[in-house]
Amino acid sequence: MVGTPVLFIAIPLMAAFLMPLLGMIWKELVRIVPGLVLTYLLILAINLLDHVLVHGPIIEVIAGWVPPIGINLVFNAFSGFLVTLMIFLGLLVWAYSYRFKRNVDYEPALKYFLMLMMLITGSVGIVLTGDIFNMFVFIEITSISAYGLTAFYKGRNSAEASFKYVMMGSIASTFLLLAIMIIYSQLGTLNMADIARKIHLMNPTLKIVSYIFFVTALGIEAEIFPLNGWAPDAYAEAPGPVGAAFAGIVVKAAVYAIIRYTYTIFDLSGSFNFLILIGMITLIIAETAAIRQEKLKRMLAYSSIGQMGLVLVAFGFGTKEGVFAALFLMLNHAITKSLLFFSGSYLVYNSTEKNITEVNGMSKYLPITSLLFAIGAFAIVGLPPFAGFWSKLSVMTAAADSNMILIMVLVLMVSVIELVYYLRVVNRIYFFKKEENTQPQKPTVNALVVMLILGAAILLIGFYPDAVTGILHKASATLVDKGQYIHNVLSLK
Amino acid sequence: MKKLLVIFLLATLGYYTAVTFFDIGFGQPHFVKGVSPVKDIYLAKTQSPLTVSNAVTSIVVNFRGFDTLGEVTVLFLAVTVLGSVLYKNRHEVGKRSVFFSASSIVTSGSKLLFPAIILLGAYVFIHGHLSPGGGFQGGVIIATGFLLMLLAYENYSVSHTALSVVESLAGITFAGVGLLGFMHGGTFLQNFLPTGVMNNLFSGGIIPIIYIAVGFKVGAELTGVIYTVLHEKGESNG
Repeated sequence: MVGTPVLFIAIPLMAAFLMPLLGMIWKELVRIVPGLVLTYLLILAINLLDHVLVHGPIIEVIAGWVPPIGINLVFNAFSGFLVTLMIFLGLLVWAYSYRFKRNVDYEPALKYFLMLMMLITGSVGIVLTGDIFNMFVFIEITSISAYGLTAFYKGRNSAEASFKYVMMGSIASTFLLLAIMIIYSQLGTLNMADIARKIHLMNPTLKIVSYIFFVTALGIEAEIFPLNGWAPDAYAEAPGPVGAAFAGIVVKAAVYAIIRYTYTIFDLSGSFNFLILIGMITLIIAETAAIRQEKLKRMLAYSSIGQMGLVLVAFGFGTKEGVFAALFLMLNHAITKSLLFFSGSYLVYNSTEKNITEVNGMSKYLPITSLLFAIGAFAIVGLPPFAGFWSKLSVMTAAADSNMILIMVLVLMVSVIELVYYLRVVNRIYFFKKEENTQPQKPTVNALVVMLILGAAILLIGFYPDAVTGILHKASATLVDKGQYIHNVLSLK
Repeated sequence: MKKLLVIFLLATLGYYTAVTFFDIGFGQPHFVKGVSPVKDIYLAKTQSPLTVSNAVTSIVVNFRGFDTLGEVTVLFLAVTVLGSVLYKNRHEVGKRSVFFSASSIVTSGSKLLFPAIILLGAYVFIHGHLSPGGGFQGGVIIATGFLLMLLAYENYSVSHTALSVVESLAGITFAGVGLLGFMHGGTFLQNFLPTGVMNNLFSGGIIPIIYIAVGFKVGAELTGVIYTVLHEKGESNG
């Protein structure tokens, strides 16, 4: 082994505290250090994931106190897969934004990279931790960096978007704390595995109340309807790469938290159907809202919300196939939506309104960016031979296995809506005449490389899905096996 | 009509939430139910292997020290975000708007009080493992000392560079102590120093070191927040 899971938290925190000092020595260091940290963590994550797939989960104890006394981190196939995905995307977001805006001063640049690194660390912490209060702390870290990144471009709109996000986020924290309080008062422990073992002792009313509080709190971060009022504004006003980080990293972490509570901690009988219900409502409302958007990033934001709804539906099947489909969707959505945000922000780079009409005829001026946007659009709709096809197919098979024909029909109908609004944009890029007042902006070299990597990943998964399905199968088996999780954590001595 | 409906819904929700939480009985002896709750283990272990007389400190810094590291980061991030939102170019930073200057009672009194406040703050965080208080409380007390000076003197200034150096060094100390424990004992934030005799100043292993770092960090950060907010020159042409 080359390291342990706690380094995913300790190294970025150390780097974050060091960065203001390093910046005094050489200003360029504040841009370079996060990249070095994320590269190291990516190597570590891949190594650990490799180890975990063969040797079983790593349970890391903190401060020398075994669970349930102390805090522990769990790196198994499921959380390890998500951590690797998040750090991979985080590295790409860093590379893309390395020189995103040339005219940014030293101090905002320092703060941007600090907040970005903390956003990734917080999300990784949410996935790794095995303690509900520790998860609360990481959710705070993630959401505070997210507020700052939303308000990064100073102006009325971004301030409003950030303020909305702060309000919703504070409500989320309050509900989360209330739910943790109920659990602690009833069971006297905060460790997830210990709670899962004792949850049957809990008063059923309080169990339901705390589950609802958890889902409400995490649903705000996971963009579940009707708690997603902040999302379209935040995505539209935040810098382009931050939108990609929200869709690829933060939302994934919040969905993970909901899934962990539903699958492992609580044993409520109706919770899977509840997931299907809220997922379906979110999917339908978000996709119908997306079709009416006039601004590119808002459209992408609603599409992102809709995809998260679909992920919840797939998790709601409660079967191993359902979990597999949901994880596959999460992977594809992370890659594809990041590509769409990356390329989309160059398509409307110089405009103030960021309207969809302003992408007209961009294919002549930005051929590679336009092609990559089109690939992303086709992939997210689910056209073969792109990556999204396989994940939608696996959702369909999982639904068929669970005899949920109505869900299949609805998902297919929503896919048609998705097709309409994405093809509308691609159509404008390729077959419309360029408007006179729009100015195309050539992407920087590292942005282009990042987008090409993502495009290649979409094609790779599309043509050769076996590259990832092995890991996904193992990850889904790990999540469904609740008894093994409890045993692994509590058998430490 | 719509408003009435919303009020009605909120009232119903609020009522049931209140009833639920009332039944839990916060602060009562029966607050924590369940078999072998962790609080009993915490209380027992605080005394014997840790030999710390303040149970709150041992939980905050030792048993759940990882959470505290997270909370320190939350504060650090909040200051960073505030600085990012209120950021102005150097030449745009104006003087503070002062409506009326402080009277001579305040100016001479604050000179007298300032060292005492700093001393109290330092005392509170150094004795965090012996008496009520700790790094967070001590840091806040120190920041109030600087607030008093900033209120009393219009042109009192704190070096931004010094603040950020103190902040960074304190943070590095916390994370570094954690990593030293990792190298020494195998787990992050593990105690690697002798625990000493209970109620001595030098006892509790790494707890005082961490609390002193937290005290410096919180003090520097909150002073930075006050300084940043005071020097924000109103809403100038957007």
